Amino acid sequence: MGKKGRLIEDIDTDQIFHNAFLHITELRQMGQYALGNLEGWKDFPGKTGPGDIIIAGRNFGAGSSRQQAVDCFKSLQTGMIIAPSFGAIYFRNAVNSGFPVMKCSKLADLIAGGLLKSGDKIRVNIRTGEGQNQTRKEAFFIEPMNEVQYNLWEVGGLFSYAKKTKKD
Amino acid sequence: MGATFSEKVLGAKAGKKVKAGEVVTVSPDYILSHDNTAAISQKFAQLGVDKVKCPDKIIIILDHVVPASTEKYAQNHKIIREFVEKQGISNFFDIHNGICHQVLSESGFALPGKLILGADSHTTSYGAFGAFSAGIGRSEVASVWATDKIWLRVPDTIKIELKGSFARGTFAKDAILKIIGEQGADRANYKALEFCGRAVKDLTLASRLVFANMAAEMGAKNGYFAPDSRALDFLKQHARTDFKPVFSDSDAEYEAVLKYDLSILEPQVACPHTVDNVKPITEVEGIKFHQGLIGTCTNGRFEDLKVAADILRDKKIHPAVRVLILPASRKEFLKALKKGIIEVLAEAGCVILNSGCGPCLGAHQGILAPGETALSTANRNFQGRMGSRDSKIFLASPATVAASALTGKITDPRKYL
Repeated sequence: MGKKGRLIEDIDTDQIFHNAFLHITELRQMGQYALGNLEGWKDFPGKTGPGDIIIAGRNFGAGSSRQQAVDCFKSLQTGMIIAPSFGAIYFRNAVNSGFPVMKCSKLADLIAGGLLKSGDKIRVNIRTGEGQNQTRKEAFFIEPMNEVQYNLWEVGGLFSYAKKTKKD
Repeated sequence: MGATFSEKVLGAKAGKKVKAGEVVTVSPDYILSHDNTAAISQKFAQLGVDKVKCPDKIIIILDHVVPASTEKYAQNHKIIREFVEKQGISNFFDIHNGICHQVLSESGFALPGKLILGADSHTTSYGAFGAFSAGIGRSEVASVWATDKIWLRVPDTIKIELKGSFARGTFAKDAILKIIGEQGADRANYKALEFCGRAVKDLTLASRLVFANMAAEMGAKNGYFAPDSRALDFLKQHARTDFKPVFSDSDAEYEAVLKYDLSILEPQVACPHTVDNVKPITEVEGIKFHQGLIGTCTNGRFEDLKVAADILRDKKIHPAVRVLILPASRKEFLKALKKGIIEVLAEAGCVILNSGCGPCLGAHQGILAPGETALSTANRNFQGRMGSRDSKIFLASPATVAASALTGKITDPRKYL
């Protein structure tokens, strides 16, 4: 995300989901506050739809361990987030939620090269990392999910996984 | 090839030799949560498990919004107290104890070689005592309560060698800000930081806590100091259980070695709105601010309050600023109280708050209005963190905040020490 093809870096968890709403525990109520504290993106929840893919700059989700910063996107049924890197705890939270966060170190090059633009229709294979830009008929690559991430994603997150292990 | 501290601790827990990059499933020694225990207990209920697996591993400390500022927070605290009762959790610390990272440390849970996980990003703090400690998410905590298991990726390690001793007016806070400023807020993402070098033996445990606490602001999974006689002497008095110190092998493999000389360090200030936007104080001197905050889990211990009092003794804070004192714990508050430090700070015009997180995360007790600026000893200055998104936060050492409180603008503390 960003204007004129420049990705915003270091989007922190305070910008993604502000402290003022941390008391909210219901997933469906969280979406309306997603990116509410990020300059120029306050209207994001009204503009996004299910399956949308968010492209962001490095260190997305830096900072606090608050899980609402992941859950707010699940609430909006965001498809996945692709960034060159993520805040460490943010990445864990997303993996554990079964929400696809995907790394792509070459993201800035793809955008600078015009291979990826806001509004493009893209498909990504999370197992192989193969990406297709259907709008521009271009192929690209991201890092595929590792084994742990894929296993948790497949069952719908740590919770379903823990329930399953409990039964086994 | 030898192993790093992190490889050894996680390897011992996994019951095999492990290398950085491997993912292991382990059972932690302690799991910390705070006011977010209310939400975690709701998540736990969804798992369909009645009882937590190991109640003695669970540590719950109420600190984020204490005493409760609204009915919603009061209700959350009530849910937590009932949960604690029902689950037979003995390591529960109610609102009067202080900030979780200080309380857990001073209560002797932060022990060498232990694996401590917490639903708070600054759980990295306990590396000051030689523990492997890392922040995790809420769902994970609920899951660990139920299963006593968690997956962790063994981190690569960056070694940070510190040499020299602090020049007048500079402190641990200045050093870690300098390091984060140069290396960047994501330099250590998913990695461990090992603080070592000749300077370490002279660092107080309170100062080591500053480094380990702020390792999180470089993105680190954990921060680590090898436990030395200073740490072990403290633990002799305070340790809750037996422990076995774990050290990196001399031929362990590091991702990078960074070297810093403390003796050439100037006071540092992190400018809005990221912790790595760091400048030497000479470049930001004179910037006016409205609210000073001295305290928090980063810089709210006795030595921090004392240096502030040394600067503010027999003086008054500038009429255009307000200064909040937020001790890291009741114990640290009492130490300062008995030494007359709290009196000096109150006489100078500071507001003495009860120990907790309150203003640091903009929860209550000192929210910033639009257009206001804070100068704080906390660990984070993200936009809007202390209140209005149109406010600014600068981060500095307690000495810098105290000296600046006298003038109403950012001031070099070396003029007052």
